Amino acid sequence: MKKKKFSLSDLMRSKITWAVIAELLILLVCFIIRPEFFSISYQPTTGMLYGSLIDILNRSAEITIIAMGMTLVIALGGTDLSVGALVAVSGAIALKFLRWDVSAYPTPGDYTIYPFVLVLLVPLAVCTLMGLFNGVMIANVGMQPIIATLILMVAGRGVAQILTNGKQFTTLYTPFRFIGQGSLFCLPMPIVISAIVVAAVALFTRKTAFGTMVESVGINPSASRLSGINAKAVILIVFALTGLLSGIAGLIYSSRIMSNDSNNAGLNYEMDAILAVVIGGTNMSGGKFSLAGTVIGSIIIRTIVTFVYYFGIVSEATMAFKALIIAVVIVLQSEPAREWFAKRAKNRQDRMSAAVKGDA
Amino acid sequence: MLKKQTMKKQSLLSKAANPKYIMVYATIGIFLIIYLFGAVAYGSKGFTTLRTFVNMFIDNAYYGISAVGMTMVLITGGIDLSVGAVASLTGMFIAYGNTVLGLHPLVCILAAMVVGVGLGLLMGATIHYLNVPPFITTLTGMFLARGVCSLISRESINISHPMMDALAQWKVYFMHLKDGEWVKIKPICFINFNLLLFLIMIVVGIVLLQKTRFGRNVYAIGGNEQSAKLMGLPVAKTKILVYGFNGFCSVLAGVAYALYVKSGWNLALQGGELEVITCAVIGGTLLTGGVGYMIGTLFGVLLKSIIPALITFNGNLLSWWGKIATGALLLLFICIQRIVVTYTGKRKAKK
Amino acid sequence: MPQEAILEMKGIEIQFPGVKALDKVDFTLNKGEIHALLGENGAGKSTLIKCLTGVHHMDAGKILLDGEEIVPTSPQDAIKMGISTVFQEVNLCQNLSVAENIFVGRQPMKRHQIDWKELNRRAAALMSRFHLDIDVTRPLSYYSTAIQQMVSIARAVDIQAKILILDEPTSSLDENEVQLLFEVMRELKADGMGIIFITHFLDQVFAVSDRLTILRNGHLIGTFQASEISKLELVTQMIGKDMDVIFNLKRAEVADDAPYTLTASRIGAPGVISSVSLNLKKGELMGFAGLLGSGRTETAEMFFGIGHPTTGEITMDGQPVSFREPCDAIAKRIAFCPEDRKRDGIIGDLSIRENIMLAVQARKGFMHPMSHQEQSELAEKYIKLLGIATPNAEKKVGELSGGNQQKVILARWMATDPEVLILDEPTRGIDVGAKAEIQRLMLEMCGEGVSVIFISSELDEIIRCSNRIVVMRDREKVGEVDGESCTQQTILNIIAGGAKEGEEAV
Repeated sequence: MKKKKFSLSDLMRSKITWAVIAELLILLVCFIIRPEFFSISYQPTTGMLYGSLIDILNRSAEITIIAMGMTLVIALGGTDLSVGALVAVSGAIALKFLRWDVSAYPTPGDYTIYPFVLVLLVPLAVCTLMGLFNGVMIANVGMQPIIATLILMVAGRGVAQILTNGKQFTTLYTPFRFIGQGSLFCLPMPIVISAIVVAAVALFTRKTAFGTMVESVGINPSASRLSGINAKAVILIVFALTGLLSGIAGLIYSSRIMSNDSNNAGLNYEMDAILAVVIGGTNMSGGKFSLAGTVIGSIIIRTIVTFVYYFGIVSEATMAFKALIIAVVIVLQSEPAREWFAKRAKNRQDRMSAAVKGDA
Repeated sequence: MLKKQTMKKQSLLSKAANPKYIMVYATIGIFLIIYLFGAVAYGSKGFTTLRTFVNMFIDNAYYGISAVGMTMVLITGGIDLSVGAVASLTGMFIAYGNTVLGLHPLVCILAAMVVGVGLGLLMGATIHYLNVPPFITTLTGMFLARGVCSLISRESINISHPMMDALAQWKVYFMHLKDGEWVKIKPICFINFNLLLFLIMIVVGIVLLQKTRFGRNVYAIGGNEQSAKLMGLPVAKTKILVYGFNGFCSVLAGVAYALYVKSGWNLALQGGELEVITCAVIGGTLLTGGVGYMIGTLFGVLLKSIIPALITFNGNLLSWWGKIATGALLLLFICIQRIVVTYTGKRKAKK
Repeated sequence: MPQEAILEMKGIEIQFPGVKALDKVDFTLNKGEIHALLGENGAGKSTLIKCLTGVHHMDAGKILLDGEEIVPTSPQDAIKMGISTVFQEVNLCQNLSVAENIFVGRQPMKRHQIDWKELNRRAAALMSRFHLDIDVTRPLSYYSTAIQQMVSIARAVDIQAKILILDEPTSSLDENEVQLLFEVMRELKADGMGIIFITHFLDQVFAVSDRLTILRNGHLIGTFQASEISKLELVTQMIGKDMDVIFNLKRAEVADDAPYTLTASRIGAPGVISSVSLNLKKGELMGFAGLLGSGRTETAEMFFGIGHPTTGEITMDGQPVSFREPCDAIAKRIAFCPEDRKRDGIIGDLSIRENIMLAVQARKGFMHPMSHQEQSELAEKYIKLLGIATPNAEKKVGELSGGNQQKVILARWMATDPEVLILDEPTRGIDVGAKAEIQRLMLEMCGEGVSVIFISSELDEIIRCSNRIVVMRDREKVGEVDGESCTQQTILNIIAGGAKEGEEAV
């Protein structure tokens, strides 16, 4: 097969390029201000690696996981607003199963009432079903994704509250702690889990024809249906998958705090996940998607937050910083800006090749 | 002559039956059904009094004010997630400016107005000229406004200024003639500044949308932006102004909220944007753009506020049921919209 | 009529990356004239129009309107100068009322408020001038495409345009509606307006135009009086080669005892079609003739799981079948090229390769992916076979011309190795050369044993290619004629409901 010719102007037109440049710039600033930002140390007692970079990956795990599903949702031309609420639901169910009858076992401890398998599987199953509900609303009833998922976004936290009767449970169960705070191969578990999820979703979309079908349905649903693609099935799978991934993120989140928090768990996760996808270069109107870009997008968001914490800027101001940096990325990525840069790059290339010719 | 008359009669009838009003009818109908249910179930507890009805407005006036601007944004086919944060920022401006810096509240409100409208215009321009999706642009706007809120202060600041107090206290009581004398009706019931502001904004919204070219351009853009451009309408100007107007509404909503809680807090009205969007959607505004009415939004606000009212009157239900009920209401509403769309589509196919 | 030029375009040149889209093109439009602008796709018609309406910037040349030089910078700008355009797709707002669509942006005002009464009154008056008595307060979406098209013309006319550009306005209209449009065009012409008329229907060109200008590959071929040029000559000028290709197509040969692949007995659905029966032989090409909305497309959709018959039975190779979704039909090796290429055919942002392999892949299921190598080979094969003009298989389909897009869709279905191929208006809106090629491919596939159903509004091509022709009217099958022996008049008579099957009209 012919190899594609490298061209600077194509590179300038690519959105991922700009995402990577943005991430590198932020890291560069960190490095200039404090070189130790990049130091990674090994703690023998816990068997884990420590350092800001590890921390960024660790803390971005939930968003990365959810954003994998969100990428497919956005590639379909939709958005899923319910993911944050599902994170809360997942945590609530897990804690419910760990501490079922609080009146009989009032003190939290290193125990679980129901088998640990159920503690893990039931939340994931419920979240998958809720995702499927979104999918049915969209594929079978024909709602717009943003509205269909708005329903669960509004009602989901209510469900989480009702499940736990509005109470906050805590637990000290060790296997549960492992999900969010344990380590494998010297890496914090959330990083391991998110890496597995990213690999699984990437394999699922790119090693089968599923990715192409998602893109096809996202670009032109009617034509896809007439080409024999079962568009409804594609939509159902994507939304169910996003539900499942939100459930996984919910388990990680509640394991970090060893508790459920129906009000704050997953708050604004939908926003962060959508941002990660968009920064990663997937167009909100659907079509071609890039999972690698999304991972970078998610890391960028977390880098900004970590950056702010690390340099002791008032933590509540994170949002303003996030907004400013995202604004810059968005403006750089916008169509007119990319066209402008690509044109400039092309002009320069033309001039250079003209100069080369002149020399010859 | 005779023919002309029948035509006129027909046109009046067909005007009311025009399919474009169906969603508004649905909103009003569902509100009436729920209200009737409340009247039957809790009539004895005073659910049907004018006071309960007016209080439903008063408790949600700030959402309503913001919903006026939101409706307009949604009609263009856009969305604005920054409204809650901008309203919160307004509260912070008033609280910090007045209580800490000692500025007159009017100055603070004016400053908030400049910032809020400016942010709206900026977001509108970004959406239009840079082609960034409204969702992302306004999300960034929300982060920015929230962040600035937190930069100003991380704690709730009380507002106490004669003018603000006077505005918050200002009331017009409902009166009736009794023995040749005007007396307050019982149970006591009044219109306050927030409610008045809400009603004024609804009227402003109606006039803008129905009586000006600007408003009709808003509908045209929502119907088909490309067509609007080709028809020679000022698309850029209209879109930017709509976001600016929405910023204006958000600031007014912030003022109303500040009067309601008499404080400014950096985390106030978190998630408020969704409440506002919900009001507009259950008021019959389509998120796809092109369809929506201020009257619908007015009833949407009522419909949304009747649920907490019912839960309060019930007394046994947990307040989280409110969220679930709102979700169910949204579901119901969207299903009706679907049915209406398919129905009118079928009618057309038959023609 | 005095020959007074209202618009002169002189030496227009437009350079696109890599190609010269227009090369020194001159064009003159007179007052009170209908001037047809003809050429194949890519000949430069729309580029010329876009240059006139300020969408494209010209690199050389000048435009004179009423003798004064103008430089339109945007469509709005052009409208202000009196140049309005009606496009093939209705460029109006479906959510606004008919009246508003005509007047939005320039509503009559009274005391700084929109005067709705006056607006509706004026709109009703304007529509009645177009012989349409409709409720102008209803939303536009309430009305048919034909009426919507009329509304957009009404809007264009009412802004006191000096020049009206009609860009393929007739492709979605039926015969009566076309006649109505022509009547309106003639009235406008009598008022002294200059009309530029772009169409692919040559009959219409001769029916209504005074003069015509032909473009080919960005060059001006010439301007002719419509009365002084023959249709054959015109087509020859447009494609620049002889018409032999088109006129030398050989009909498919079907043996008398060829088995039936697809039969329908009295299939119908309320409000869609009623009681249509037909049987399609292996290797046969069956034409569907009839006016728009006669049930041609709806019948074909029943065979592909888009529409669902409530009565009657469809059999394939003797076995009864029922299709819930298109994928069920595809599994039975039926293929369907839909009428609306943009909406239902191409996946614009995907590459040619992906578009071609899509149906094959969909039938296999996503768990059995084709390797990149397989996909590329498949794509290369059909690019060569169908002569799709593209540098490589990775080009986005959306960037191809209409004819090439149609070929890609055809390739998508040929790749599935179908038994029955249904083509709904495969040649609409594409140029004569590509048309001939698609007809040739269709017949070649018949030769390989594929049964083809061919739907078209152009009787010429149906008669030229079909073995048998099913004629439809008002959602019913009203006749079936032999392709070899019938004439246009036979079919027209059946459609009109006058003569019975086989009768020769005067």
